[in-house]
Amino acid sequence: MTAVSYVPPNVLPPVVQKLAPLLKRRWIRELVLMPPTLSGRRISNKTEDYGVFKPSRIAHIDQVSIYVQDIARSRRWYEKLAGLRHSRTCEEEPHPVKEGWRIRCCYMSAGEHDECLVLVEERDPAGKVTVPSGMSFFHTAFELTGNRFEDVIGFAEQAKEAGFVPNYGPVRHNGETPLGDGETGGNVACYFYDPDYHNIEFCAAMDTIENYRARYGDTKGSARA
Amino acid sequence: MNAHAGMAQITAAKLQHQVIYVSDLKQSTDFYTKLFDLQFSAHNHPDSSAAMRLAQMEMHFFSFGFYHHDICLVKHHKLKMDNGSMLHFSLVARDRSAFDAIRQRAKGMGIPTRDGRLIASAKTSPGARAFSLQDPDRHWIEIIEEPSK
Repeated sequence: MTAVSYVPPNVLPPVVQKLAPLLKRRWIRELVLMPPTLSGRRISNKTEDYGVFKPSRIAHIDQVSIYVQDIARSRRWYEKLAGLRHSRTCEEEPHPVKEGWRIRCCYMSAGEHDECLVLVEERDPAGKVTVPSGMSFFHTAFELTGNRFEDVIGFAEQAKEAGFVPNYGPVRHNGETPLGDGETGGNVACYFYDPDYHNIEFCAAMDTIENYRARYGDTKGSARA
Repeated sequence: MNAHAGMAQITAAKLQHQVIYVSDLKQSTDFYTKLFDLQFSAHNHPDSSAAMRLAQMEMHFFSFGFYHHDICLVKHHKLKMDNGSMLHFSLVARDRSAFDAIRQRAKGMGIPTRDGRLIASAKTSPGARAFSLQDPDRHWIEIIEEPSK
């Protein structure tokens, strides 16, 4: 099928993608945050400033289903870049929440996670495949095999060699040089747009209750930004 | 490795977190913390984060209790969210009692639920239970009980 060329409004323009690595420089971040700093409105965004890490009622995310224009095109992308495996593609079925609409689902599996991603072609009552809006989720994140800093760096290198260009990263979402961008979570990450401009993060080494004190000691969050 | 080399050497192991757009951070934060006991782990705001300031977004991070974040809610201050790019996401209850507690809490909150897997073709393990509901922005969330839990 022929996919419609549509760029969602939240997609970073190429020039912004080129400039985004500057956020790894602390003085740039300070410059951007100068207005709230000078006005006294600046706040901290860091983990240990909040009481976290009690068990919730949820163990983990099991599945995400995203709309795509062309299952075959998207399947190739996730197989080639992420190493996802094709589990099965189903016949059309009724849309679960839209009367008269239909969907076709392609189930993809990651190394340790069976059928974690569902690529969904959605057809309106006239049979026309809808174009994903890009405005339901900001990104979906996969943890990489190994779950180490160097695994993300290696992944970014192999992606580059295969012709994939990240829209952001690799960065580390904290203030540590050289990759820290001042964000939150400690995960090392790189982001790519899939064929429908869904933003997909590949990450590793996120902070956990077990490692964040070892990683940051008693440093307050505001000092790590 | 070249563009036709096939499977990557370093690959995705599993889904780790999901970041969804919401229209009202407070309303959604109340919903997710009350229904699932998610732990609020960070708040990235245009007054705390250079990236959020440039992107004109505000982000609330939530932990399931092990990683720093598993679910994040994002309010874009310039763009309007919709339900046009994601059909649903599924969450596995910590155990049987957590599954029942979520359903009971949803009932208490007046949230309609729908039994069974949301997508008819999704696999159902023997003995597994599932139901779905919508958050305040009409994102579909499926809650699953894994029989082994």
